[in-house]
Amino acid sequence: MDQYLPILLLGLLGLGFTVFSLVSSAILAPRKKPSAAKLSPYECGIVPNREPPQRFPVRFYLVSMIFIIFDIEIVFLYPWAVVFHQIATFGLIEVIVFAAVVFVSFLYLISNGALTWGPPKTLQSGLPARTSDSTISRISAARPEPGEAA
Amino acid sequence: MIGALWNTLQTAPDQGGGDPLFVFGLNWGVVLIVAVKVLVAFGVLLVATALMIWFERKVISDMQSRVGPNRAGPWGLLQTLADGTKLIFKEDLLPDRADIFVFKLAPYLSVIPAVLIFAVVPVGGTITLGTHTFELQVSDPPMGILFVLAMSGIAVYGVMLAGWSSGSKYPLLGSVRASAQVISYEAALGMSVVTVVLVSRSLSTRAIVAAQSNGFWHWNLIRLGFFPFIFFMIAITAELTRPPFDLTEAEQELVGGFHTEYSSIRFGLFFLAEFMNTITMSAVVVTLFFGGPNGPIPHAIPGATIYMPIVYFILKTVAFCFIYVWFRAALPRLRYDQLMDLGWKRLIPLTLAWLLMVASVLTWRWWGLVMLPVVVVSAVLLFRANHLGSGRSEEDAIIPVVGRRVTGAPRLTPVDAPHGGDA
Repeated sequence: MDQYLPILLLGLLGLGFTVFSLVSSAILAPRKKPSAAKLSPYECGIVPNREPPQRFPVRFYLVSMIFIIFDIEIVFLYPWAVVFHQIATFGLIEVIVFAAVVFVSFLYLISNGALTWGPPKTLQSGLPARTSDSTISRISAARPEPGEAA
Repeated sequence: MIGALWNTLQTAPDQGGGDPLFVFGLNWGVVLIVAVKVLVAFGVLLVATALMIWFERKVISDMQSRVGPNRAGPWGLLQTLADGTKLIFKEDLLPDRADIFVFKLAPYLSVIPAVLIFAVVPVGGTITLGTHTFELQVSDPPMGILFVLAMSGIAVYGVMLAGWSSGSKYPLLGSVRASAQVISYEAALGMSVVTVVLVSRSLSTRAIVAAQSNGFWHWNLIRLGFFPFIFFMIAITAELTRPPFDLTEAEQELVGGFHTEYSSIRFGLFFLAEFMNTITMSAVVVTLFFGGPNGPIPHAIPGATIYMPIVYFILKTVAFCFIYVWFRAALPRLRYDQLMDLGWKRLIPLTLAWLLMVASVLTWRWWGLVMLPVVVVSAVLLFRANHLGSGRSEEDAIIPVVGRRVTGAPRLTPVDAPHGGDA
């Protein structure tokens, strides 16, 4: 375990540096009582009128769940890679089978659209695909006319 | 040519990690050397980070025909120091809706892993002082490269918790994006590292470097056929959330991303950690693919075994720091769906395929040719699956898509959108 002593010391040094910075800032920074506007969430000058969101798109959860499969695959690959020269052909066949199993589940995920993000090509059949032209025309359509109230 | 390449694959030395300093156990001399090593490494890392921030600003202003920082010190070299000092004197704000404990904890979770990663990077050869022989590297644990991945994994918590605890819209979105992005590219990153471990036969960074010591044709860049390096470089840029993958702090959309609510030195610490990570990851790329402190031709300069490795290491690392800045100046930011597609649908299958190819060639030279049709068939299957998947996301997606207005089409509301946008 001696090999980890320098890492521990470096970690303590990093911790010390962080504490030192924060303490010196606490001593040197102005300590006025900030106004309510200053303490409110930053939304580019708009006063927030509702609670901060605690929800976000479920896709992010989906990605982190799928990630676990791949992370576990990689965790298994490290010890395999270290001893690969000893187990040679046997190791190769094992890992091909393993990779095939993971790959099939990967194909399943992709073919279900679990990893498909972003703008769909068409929303309804018959609508034009999303191109530079369609975006430009959409934006110019959304802009109010000079006389029109915004 | 292929025969020579084959030989380079076969001659990797088989060794684990371990700094010879600890061979005779701990005593005061050893502890003193460790303390000096750690202090020097930390000092160098801090100064290098300050210089990196200056370097980035100066290079990017050159690329944009601006002058850049030029007031503080010669050529503006002390600009970072001035900025840091200024930040310490700034008002430290704890937002109303913040979760105070987590809000204060997050900078630690960002800075400490950033500092620690540098510990396993080999900087030079070995030095003998009296009875003590030690490596020019803070620490050489047997699982070296896993430590890098572990620390970059912990750093995600810093970003995630910072955004979540701010109690504000933009930081939350920024941090959620950041976490999804970092974990998406971690798989590709891990598999390119596995490819390196395959030929190095060890997880120790020192052993990985030692396996590349016989000239530049032994560097993993060439031995592994360039692609793992390219995959690794893309993945690591995304891990660092540096341009063109800096969606976490896309100013036009998210103000400052996860650190929008942070001010004073708390913000400064995130900034410091980010640039520290840029340097250490450049060093990690050099370690894995460019022979670390090894020169391009062994024994080219006789008798210079102590300082030349350090010079080579610094030159290579600075080159990669420059490349990161160059990326920022040259490449536009990706859209989020492009980012996810690149990570999941391209990088992961490609790194996996290349990993299997390298493993096959290592077993028997012609296995590579046998593997090739398998890879092609898998690619066709993947392409077909992707086609199915993107079609399905429009018809019966797992997550319904929200309506979007196209000129000439009636405005879609969540109610009359075909899949019910509010489901």
